[in-house]
Amino acid sequence: MSVQLPESRPFKVSFPHMGNYSIPVKTLAEHLECEIVLPPKMTRRTLELGARHSPEFVCIPFKYNLGNYIEALDKGANLLLQAGGGCRFGYYGEVQEAILRDLGYDFGMVRLIGGWKLRDHINDFKQVNPRLTMLRALKAYKLALLQTRALDTVEDYVRRNAGFEVEDGAFEEVHDAFLGELDTARDKRTIAEIEERYLGELAAIPTERPDDLLRIGIVGELYVLMEPFSNLFVEKELAKRGVEVHRFVTVSNMVEHGGRKATAHLDDLIAKSGDYVRYHLGADGTESVSMAYQLMQQGFDGVLHLKPFGCMPEVNAMASLQRLSREHTFPILFISYDAQTSETGLKTRLDAFCDMLRMSKQRPGTAEMADVAESLATEAERSTA
Amino acid sequence: MQATVGLPRSLLYHKYHVLWESFFAALEVQTVTSPQSNRAILARGIELAVDETCVPVKLFLGHVDALRDKADYILVPRIVTLAKDETMCVKFLGAFDVARNSVPGVRLLEYSVDVKNGIHQRPELCRVGETFERNRRKVRRAYDHAAIEHLRYTAELDERQEQALARPGIKVLVVGHAYNLYDEMLGKPIVDFLGKHGVEVVCSEFHDTAKARRLAERVSKDIPWTYNKELLGALESYRERVDGIIFLVTFPCGPDSLMTELCMRRVKGVPSIMLVLDELQSEAGLQTRLESFVDLIEAGKKRALAGGGAR
Repeated sequence: MSVQLPESRPFKVSFPHMGNYSIPVKTLAEHLECEIVLPPKMTRRTLELGARHSPEFVCIPFKYNLGNYIEALDKGANLLLQAGGGCRFGYYGEVQEAILRDLGYDFGMVRLIGGWKLRDHINDFKQVNPRLTMLRALKAYKLALLQTRALDTVEDYVRRNAGFEVEDGAFEEVHDAFLGELDTARDKRTIAEIEERYLGELAAIPTERPDDLLRIGIVGELYVLMEPFSNLFVEKELAKRGVEVHRFVTVSNMVEHGGRKATAHLDDLIAKSGDYVRYHLGADGTESVSMAYQLMQQGFDGVLHLKPFGCMPEVNAMASLQRLSREHTFPILFISYDAQTSETGLKTRLDAFCDMLRMSKQRPGTAEMADVAESLATEAERSTA
Repeated sequence: MQATVGLPRSLLYHKYHVLWESFFAALEVQTVTSPQSNRAILARGIELAVDETCVPVKLFLGHVDALRDKADYILVPRIVTLAKDETMCVKFLGAFDVARNSVPGVRLLEYSVDVKNGIHQRPELCRVGETFERNRRKVRRAYDHAAIEHLRYTAELDERQEQALARPGIKVLVVGHAYNLYDEMLGKPIVDFLGKHGVEVVCSEFHDTAKARRLAERVSKDIPWTYNKELLGALESYRERVDGIIFLVTFPCGPDSLMTELCMRRVKGVPSIMLVLDELQSEAGLQTRLESFVDLIEAGKKRALAGGGAR
C-alpha cells in the first residue's frame, strides 16, 4: 500500500463508483474525517473521458475508474482512493496516477494494494487523519460491512423478483427509497431495521410469476457484474423479459470468502467444477466456471457470462465454459464489454437468448437443446470476432 | 518402448527450453519440439482458442495441437508465482486448463510452480521426471544438471547482449517477452528486418533478477508481473546505451497495456515506438513503420553530430 498526500488542504476524498457500493465506501471513508466528494453519477461522458486518456486496449473498468477520477477532481476532490483486485486491476492505481499527473491535476492517492491487513490500512490512513484510532477505524469497517450486507440482501431479492412485477417500476421505487435510507443509517440497529422493513415492503409488491419463468445465473468478472452502468443494465433488461436473475459475485460474498479463507474457497470451487477446472485460473475465472457448473446441476435454464473485453482470467474460464456448454448442451451466453459495446446489440442478443430458452422449455427435446447450444456457440464466436 | 515428451515451441519454451531439453536428455527420455510458428499453426490456434485470447496463447494452442500424434505426452507447465510479492500473467495460471479444455485428444503432462506458497520448480519437475525414471536420485541429479545448463544458457544470452551493445553503429533495444521476441511469426521478422538495415538489435534479456527488480522500480513501484519486472530491468539497464527503443506488444496483452503506458510517459530522451502485433499483421505496414523509425534515429544522430560541431 502506498500513500501520497496532495499539496492542497483540506483533503477532499473521492473514490470510483461501483454499483451502489458508494454507500458503504462513504461510511468507511468517514473515519478519515475529511470531506467526501462523490464522483458524479456515471454517464456516457464518464466513459468517454476515461477512454480518451487510457491505454487503448486496457480493460474497461480502468476506463470507467479513470473517468470517475477526472470528474471527481473537476468537482474539487484532491485525495483519491484505489483498491484493486487479483489481476491487472491491482495495478491500476500507479498507471492512473501517472496519467492524471500528466493531465496536470494536483492530488494525492491512497493505493490499497498487496493484502488486506487491517492494521496496515489503519497505519496508512493515519497519515490522512492523525486523530484516527484503531477503535474508530474498526467501527467504520464494521458499519460499512453491515451496510454492504443489507444492500446485497435487498438487491438479491430485487433481482429475483423484479421481473414479475404487475405494475411497472414498483420494485425500482422501493429499491430507491431503501438506498436513500441506507445512505444515512449509521448504527447497527437502524441498518437491521431498514433491511427488514424494506424486505417486507418488497415482499408486499404484487407479482405474477408465470409457469414457464426462466431462471438465469450471471457469472463473470466482478466489476462489470457489479456496476450496472458498465454492463448496460443487463439485470434490468433480463427482468423486463420475465427472468428470475441470480448473481453470486457481491462484495458480501467476497468478504465472506476472502482473506484467510481464500485458498479453501478456491479448493472448494475447483472440487465442485465437474473437472472443468483443475487449477485456479486467476481472479474470478475459477468461480465463473464452478458456478456455471453448479447452476446447471441445480436446473437453471441458462447462464450469462460477462467480462470486459480482453479480460484474461475470464478468457481462461471461457475455454472451460465453452466445453461445459457443448458437452452438457447447457446454454451459456458470452458477453464482452468495451467502450463501443452498444445497448441495441445487447438487447437483441438477450431477446434471442430468452426466446431460445423458452422455445426449448416448451419442447424439451434433446435435439432442440442441441440446436440452441450450437447456435449459441456460433453466435458467441461471431460476437467476439 | 521409451515414451516421448512433446515440447510446444511457445510461451515458457522460450524461457526454459534448455532446462527441459537437458532434463529429459539426462533421463534418456526423447523430446519432440513442435516446428517453428507458421501460418498453419497460427490458423489452428485461432480455431481452437476463444476469440479474445492473446496472440501468444493462440499460437500456444496451435503448437500443442501440432504435437498430436507426435508425442506420448505434451509438457504444459503452469506457473503462478516465481517470487514472493510477485505474480505471473494469468495466462500462465490457466495454460494447463485452457489447453486441456481446448485441444481435444492430447495427453498433457503438467507441473505447477507457486513459489509464494512454497511450491518450487525442482520438486515439481522431478515429479514429472519420476513418470519416466523410478530412481529418484537419478531424477534429482538430472534436474540439477539441467539447472546448471539453464544458468549457463542465460549467462550466454546476457553476454550476447553486452557484445551487441559494444559494437559500433545504430543500436535498437527491442522490449518484448521472450515468447514474442523469439517467435518465428512475431518478433523474428522484426529482428531480421532491423538486422538487414544495419541496425544492431539488443533484446530485452536480463537475467540478474535481483538487479532487474531494483532497476524496474525506477519506472514502476507496483508492477506485479515477474516477466514485466525483468523487461523493465532490461530497459533501465540498456536504455542509455541504445539509440532507440521498440516496445513489442501482442494484442490485447493486459500486463503490457499498462506497462507500456507507463514507459511511454516516464522513459524520456530516447526515441521509442510501440508495435502492436495481432494475428492479422500485414508485413508491409510493419516494415514501413520500422523503416521510418530507423530513418528518424539516423536523422537525429546526424543532427546531433552537426549541432555538436557548430557549437
